Amino acid sequence: MTSSKKVVLLGHFGVGKTSLFRRFIDNAFSEDYKVTLGVQIKKKVVELPNGKELSMIIWDTEGHTDIEDTRKSYLLGSHAFIYVFDSTREETYKNINEDLAYLTNIHSKVLIKVIGNKIDLIKEKTAKDQLKALNINVDCFTSAKTNKNVHEFFLDLANELTS
Amino acid sequence: MKSQEEARPFHQKTQHISIQYDGTITFTEGALFKLKKGMSLFEMHPFFEIIPSLIDEHKNTKTSVDHNFACIHLNDDDIERICDVTLTISSYGIEVLIFDYTQKYSELHTVAQQKNESILLARALELRNKYLLEKEEFKNSFIANINHEIRTPLTAILGFVEILEKTKLDFEQEELARIIKRESLHLNALIDDMIDISNIESGKLRVTEERFSIKELLKGFEKTYNKVAENKGLAFTMTYEDSIADYVIGDTTRVYQILNNLLNNAFKFTETGKVTLTASKNYQRGNKTSISFKIEDTGLGIIPENLDAVFDRFSRFNQDKKIAGTGLGLAIVKNLIDLLQGDIKVTSEVDKGSIFSLKLPFGIEIGSKSPERKKKTYTLPKRDKKFRILVVEDEESTQYLVMKLLIKEGDFFVDVAMNGEMAINFVEKRAYDLILMDLQLPTIDGYKITKQIRTKYGDKVIAEVPIIGFTANSKEGERERCLKAGMDDFITKPFEQQDLLYKITKQIAKKAAQ
Ligand SMILES: Nc1nc2c(ncn2[C@@H]2O[C@H](COP(=O)(O)OP(=O)(O)OP(=O)(O)O)[C@@H](O)[C@H]2O)c(=O)[nH]1
Ligand SMILES: [Mg+2]
Repeated sequence: MTSSKKVVLLGHFGVGKTSLFRRFIDNAFSEDYKVTLGVQIKKKVVELPNGKELSMIIWDTEGHTDIEDTRKSYLLGSHAFIYVFDSTREETYKNINEDLAYLTNIHSKVLIKVIGNKIDLIKEKTAKDQLKALNINVDCFTSAKTNKNVHEFFLDLANELTS
Repeated sequence: MKSQEEARPFHQKTQHISIQYDGTITFTEGALFKLKKGMSLFEMHPFFEIIPSLIDEHKNTKTSVDHNFACIHLNDDDIERICDVTLTISSYGIEVLIFDYTQKYSELHTVAQQKNESILLARALELRNKYLLEKEEFKNSFIANINHEIRTPLTAILGFVEILEKTKLDFEQEELARIIKRESLHLNALIDDMIDISNIESGKLRVTEERFSIKELLKGFEKTYNKVAENKGLAFTMTYEDSIADYVIGDTTRVYQILNNLLNNAFKFTETGKVTLTASKNYQRGNKTSISFKIEDTGLGIIPENLDAVFDRFSRFNQDKKIAGTGLGLAIVKNLIDLLQGDIKVTSEVDKGSIFSLKLPFGIEIGSKSPERKKKTYTLPKRDKKFRILVVEDEESTQYLVMKLLIKEGDFFVDVAMNGEMAINFVEKRAYDLILMDLQLPTIDGYKITKQIRTKYGDKVIAEVPIIGFTANSKEGERERCLKAGMDDFITKPFEQQDLLYKITKQIAKKAAQ
């Protein structure tokens, strides 16, 4: 039987959660911004290097400036949180460490990944330097627009969740 | 009137489903989603796959537990609804209650969309602005650097061609040398254009004021462009109104540049017929005057749609390969005219020609009518010994060029110092009549060496030796920097040999006259 894992996309509004979600699931992208209200859920079955399959159930939540405004019910039963920020907007990442602490506090066993999206808009080096200065660890820089690192990221995550 | 959606009775907006722990539907009532007894709810929508993990959590609790989920996008094959869902987990199974709030949530969505969009838009504009500024800065420093890199070899090329021209050449060789010179001079002019436009755009260009004769300036153009016209088989006429003030106060370099660019442009695009330049007094009041200039040609003309864009950067409509240039000429003209607070208009008719009309304001001195200041001629003082010149320069091509030029003149001895240390050494050992000082040297630069020569020595022969600065850098303010450092004059590479000789002669003659 295919096992399944619940993964939740979190972060400020407009950082590209829905775009990453669409890029991963349908390999599509749009410049249009359509605000997500509440949560939309889709699943995608991925093949793991060991030949087995994993069904990833992805929850694309509505963005909040304050993580505590996210409905707690959306976080229930999760296996991973993906905290997405916009690499071009400091306000979407400057409080990351506090937000991550909040999440681990209520869900200590859930794997957390941090993603800097929209990396097509600025130099990766510039973004990295800025984050380093704020003591923030980033797992991956992506671009939903150019499809940079999106599939790679989700596949690595699938792998990590099953090992 | 209420919409259809709202008009639906409440029970039509809910669905009640009972399932077993494995997801099998045992009961369903309501019209939201097409569900049947015996189907698996987990397969209807991935949202419901959350249920197994919730069951796990509550395995050991006897009482039932409610979980409320708000604003969930649910859909079966046909339709998407935004719903609130309550899951009640008990030892008998799971009760699922779905409330369709699509209407309510859609209204909220419009509000959120507007708010978020406007914030994102503001941020995007900020970012774009920042990006443009950075790009602009990069471009300007890039142009300044590339300018330096190009000027140095270009100086060498121009210099050697001039030397080559003075050797014995057959007709073909002479012609080739002439072409190399012409093209190098053209390249040099393009670099000037590039620097101008970047200086103008970054606001680095300053307007200087000096007293000069418009009429003389116009006569100069008449001379130059008569030749150009002759070569191209065109006619050129220049006329001015006598009532124009003899002397005006303004930025002669910029005025020259503006008119020169416009004339150049007129000749570039005219194959038959004539080019005319006219100047007239627009008004003269108190210490102010405004002069109108008109440059008229019988060239290709500009189609009406393109008229607005003629002064944009890089716009060139007649994409004719034979016509050389960066396309910066008219953009520079417009920028310079703005800088001088003048005004330019263009009218044109295709295949008939174009008319550029401009007005420029000037100052005038009331009452004084001092004579024109001509470029004075200087001659080297009479002396048995040759004049000894120190060339401080690290680039071999320039060293060689200056040496050849001066030695060929016959009046000079030349020493070359490759760097500041060597220069100081030479100066302390020998008496020089003049020093040519490159400003960009390794270790100690030309300004510092000059300061040292001017301040460190009690010996007047050393401390008062004439120094001419020597640089590939033609930035505004360079001249002031040179003079401030204690130099007597300044020359930009690439230089015409005559200019360099003139400056050297002038400084030596002035020193001798003291
Ligand atoms: N250049 C660029 N634009 C992106 C990228 N990802 C998303 N965008 C744009 O950013 C805007 C917001 O993207 P969404 O994916 O809707 O953002 P979100 O995080 O889902 O926003 P909320 O649903 O409001 O929380 C859209 O206009 C996207 O086209 C990216 O990688 N590069
Ligand atoms: Mg979204």
